[in-house]
Amino acid sequence: MATMQMASLVDTDNGVINPRIFSDEEIYQQELEQIFARCWLMLCHETQIPNPGDFLTTYMGEDPVLVVRDRSGKVGAFLNICRHRGNRLCRADNGNAAAFICAYHGWAFSNDGSLQAVPNLQDAYYNELDQSQWGLIPVAQLDIYKGLVFATFDPNAPPLLEYLGPTTWYLDVFFDRREGGVEVIGGLHKWQIPANWKMPAENFCGDGYHTGWSHLSAIGSGFGGSFRSSPSRAGAVVSPANGHCIVGLGPDDPSDPAVPEIIAYEESIRDEVAERMGERLRLIRPHAGTIFPNLSLLRSISRTFRIWQPKGPGKTEIQAAVYVDKAAPPEVKEAFRRTAIRTFGPSGVFEQDDMDNWEGCSMSGRGVVSRRHDLNISMGLGHASYDEELGGMASDYRLSENNHRAFYRRWSQLMDSNDWPA
Amino acid sequence: MRDDTIREVEQFLYREARLLDARRFDDWLDLLAEDIKYWMPLRSNRYPAYSKAISILDGSRYEEGELSGEDDLAIMDEDKDSLTRRIRRLDSGMAWAEDPPSRTRHFVSNIEVEPGSRESELKVYSNFIMYRTRGETEQDFYVGSREDVLRREDGQLRVAYRKIVLDQTVLLAKNVSNFF
Repeated sequence: MATMQMASLVDTDNGVINPRIFSDEEIYQQELEQIFARCWLMLCHETQIPNPGDFLTTYMGEDPVLVVRDRSGKVGAFLNICRHRGNRLCRADNGNAAAFICAYHGWAFSNDGSLQAVPNLQDAYYNELDQSQWGLIPVAQLDIYKGLVFATFDPNAPPLLEYLGPTTWYLDVFFDRREGGVEVIGGLHKWQIPANWKMPAENFCGDGYHTGWSHLSAIGSGFGGSFRSSPSRAGAVVSPANGHCIVGLGPDDPSDPAVPEIIAYEESIRDEVAERMGERLRLIRPHAGTIFPNLSLLRSISRTFRIWQPKGPGKTEIQAAVYVDKAAPPEVKEAFRRTAIRTFGPSGVFEQDDMDNWEGCSMSGRGVVSRRHDLNISMGLGHASYDEELGGMASDYRLSENNHRAFYRRWSQLMDSNDWPA
Repeated sequence: MRDDTIREVEQFLYREARLLDARRFDDWLDLLAEDIKYWMPLRSNRYPAYSKAISILDGSRYEEGELSGEDDLAIMDEDKDSLTRRIRRLDSGMAWAEDPPSRTRHFVSNIEVEPGSRESELKVYSNFIMYRTRGETEQDFYVGSREDVLRREDGQLRVAYRKIVLDQTVLLAKNVSNFF
């Protein structure tokens, strides 16, 4: 239930937000209810659990979730909590299982969530426990778009395709630009940073502004390659719908790392991708974005998606994967893998430099005087309009905080309302 | 293994640690072979196959290993060129993760020396604790093990291969901007 009204802290019409939204414990608790217990959240990519019995554990908000592919091949997701005493059911990050057995008393759950076996059912429970009522708690809805597995705890949330709306074309550019889509390279980067989850989310939303300063040393030492710090005037930040945000460069702005295998590969598939993605790719080259609330995408220097898992107002666990076109040859996949490790991830020369900034920004609302002063997201205010060809609100210039405003507008709406505002 | 070889290896690893803590990175680079592979794989929580916490559906595919493989994601997977560029970056005045710089302290222990696969090489195991503090109150402990191949080149030992395994699965440091 929404209690505090965020409209007083977020004024996107004037491009100001209050720093309390990054550090206030009460606001954080409200986010867990209003954002994370309602929105569609990404769990994984299908290729992370390709076979029957494959599972992984993750989080939706602070709720632990077990994602499984059952015997029939169907993907399901459940609270990773034993129904008996609430113990964490599965303690592994991933694996393969027909059933999960709780370490406390031995309740056993099938990988379709049903309660399979209870020790001492006959003598201690007198055979009176209705096992059908004590299966794992499933998510309310689960759906898969182009291999991306999403779920929501809200039975009233709009269907995934409606939630994504016209953002789907942009997702296709990242995850389905070639036949067969993408696959995730084995392993996830997982690390915890002392920042509010919204800072990295807004950064990937539309912060082309920081690249040319925050990341100049990474670009200058050859890790950015043909990614230029000052691309052409072309490009835009686009917010297609519902707080989802995409950063696009101009169609001819290079964004690939200076790795010969990658440059040759991109050149070799250019026509094929252009054909598959259609006219819009001649207008914009999508290279980063955030699917509201906490899934961010990149396809320039590194091909990575990352989930910003909230762990308190001042702590976020990053879970980051690297993906490659399934149809790419092995040496190209290897080149993407190596390049990704060196640029994004805990040691990535781009990403390591973001941390202090996100930490500093997240903390500013802790001082009572500091929090009297709003922060500025006014760049390009009044210089954006609905663009039919791009399928969303688009900034007139590639550097703009219009996406920041779209993100916080949606955040504020959902925080203040128990409905699903259009 | 001869005692003087063990002493030599120990002194080599201690000197290397001192150069890193003193931020003498160019001198450190000189201790690395031109063809070095410098690799920090990922570690994850997995049930061993004998665990009773799961009943495995597909035993033929079940992998017990905690460590990511060479074709998988890693925290670092570097060659001499990328390590050199990482260090050149620090000179830019804009490598914000190290500006202001970390203060590090490398502790190296449990050193074991074995013959390498070639006459000129030694296989060396060690454990490490790298303490990092930075800014006002930041502190991180990076704890793990290393497997090195040290090669004698022109009378000097150089690191030809280094596998660094951290003990944490979810890294509790906000980044990895130092060397091991």
